[in-house]
Amino acid sequence: MAQKNRYGFVIDVARCIDCRACLVACRVENEVSLPHTRIWVKDQGLRGTFPDLAREFVPYNCMHCEHPPCIEVCTSGATFKDPDNGLVLVDQEACIGCGLCVEACPYDARYLDPTRGVVDKCTGCVHRVERGEEPACVATCLGGARMFGDFNDPTSEVSQALARATQVRQLVTDEVDPDPNIYYLNGDVMQTGLLPRLPRYTTAETLWRGVAIPAVIAGITLSFLGQAVAFTKQLIEGEQEFEE
Amino acid sequence: MSHAEFIPLAERKRLRVTEIKKHNLANILTHWFNVAMWALLLPTGLAILASPRLGIVPELWQTLMRNVFGGTANLIEFHYSVGLVWMAVLTFNILLGFRKYFIPFTRERMFLDADDIEWLKVKPLQMIGLAKAKRLPPQDVYNAGQKLYMYMVIVGTLTIGLTGLIMTFHKLIPWPWLIQWSLPIHFSAVGMVVAGLIIHVYMGAVFPEEKEAFFSMFTGKVSAWYARRHHAKWYWRKMEEEMDWEDRVLAEGRALKADESAAD
Repeated sequence: MAQKNRYGFVIDVARCIDCRACLVACRVENEVSLPHTRIWVKDQGLRGTFPDLAREFVPYNCMHCEHPPCIEVCTSGATFKDPDNGLVLVDQEACIGCGLCVEACPYDARYLDPTRGVVDKCTGCVHRVERGEEPACVATCLGGARMFGDFNDPTSEVSQALARATQVRQLVTDEVDPDPNIYYLNGDVMQTGLLPRLPRYTTAETLWRGVAIPAVIAGITLSFLGQAVAFTKQLIEGEQEFEE
Repeated sequence: MSHAEFIPLAERKRLRVTEIKKHNLANILTHWFNVAMWALLLPTGLAILASPRLGIVPELWQTLMRNVFGGTANLIEFHYSVGLVWMAVLTFNILLGFRKYFIPFTRERMFLDADDIEWLKVKPLQMIGLAKAKRLPPQDVYNAGQKLYMYMVIVGTLTIGLTGLIMTFHKLIPWPWLIQWSLPIHFSAVGMVVAGLIIHVYMGAVFPEEKEAFFSMFTGKVSAWYARRHHAKWYWRKMEEEMDWEDRVLAEGRALKADESAAD
């Protein structure tokens, strides 16, 4: 199904003051229980030598990727890309709590909530977006570092910000590029701790794909062929058993 | 038929109309209950597997089932619920009928004996066109192939049930690895049983020599002809039991007659 909109974030790193109001707003809005969080502000520490020092605070959450490894690996289809807005969402009623997506996410932007036995992550405050409001983290951002909107709409704030920007970065590498929908402006974000890792696949999942599925397919195929040969023979030779 | 014997026509006709009870009501109901549960669980279980990395279930089927049930959560809930009913009824039946049905069935019908082992050596060769001249040893109420399939079904059902319960109650399981391993184990156990099921359905419903076995799953009875030709060991044991019974009745009758004569 064609995606109507492509919602995502633009983050102006130069504007983040590490107040972490976004973390509080997200926790309150989405009732995220401690010690978990759906969003982060990553302090990259001081870089350089005096007087040429730099320090960045990088707001960080689910990248709502265009090609998300978490969806690829989700057993039940509980994780999906909303066809209306492009946000990557988790239907927690359908989540079976296997945590394969947590391992697969290259940004470690998901967690398995042990109290509820389901996966949780940033939803882009889809319930607010559907009402025409901004996500809580964006609405509360003091410095205006976080922006949210539809990249398919050239008049949206995010599209305008990207059009004006002189430096735009996506957190991708040559090895891992799921086409994330967070664009970073004005900061050196291409650093260890921010860049994606390779998706991890558990031994159980790897054996399932590599051994169990081929074995089951081979077994069922052999079984089917066996009865097909016997049935063909039966049709050719006739049903002799009950003929007097 | 490889252990064919000459049976005169009149005797053959008599055998054909004589019925022998093969399955009791508990066997029949459990069998068809299992069929119903598999018919509900297999299509819904397959449809749940949406991961593109697994790539085993056509998207059309996933979408169809999700539309029928009104979404992924409902589909999974249905699968969980039917699975729970399946496990609950099987457990209840086993506990309730443990002494009357389960123990005798296990003792009398499930174990492999020397004839079964020999049958397993000869039958596969004959199936690929070898050892045609070799006689198959007489079989009991179930032949060795049926017994092996029965073992597979028992192991499969236990595995499916256990891993299914783990996934159904995943919210109570604190170890994600247990759920991660339950998935491929559940899938493999289902695959193993389905592979056998294809042969089981063919042998039971289509294969001409076993047609009576199919109808016996409704009536509980097979003809003496079928029993003698396919399950000779069981047939002759039945005959012995019948003759013993007749002898006992005759002896009782004679004793009664002797008592009456003495009283006169």
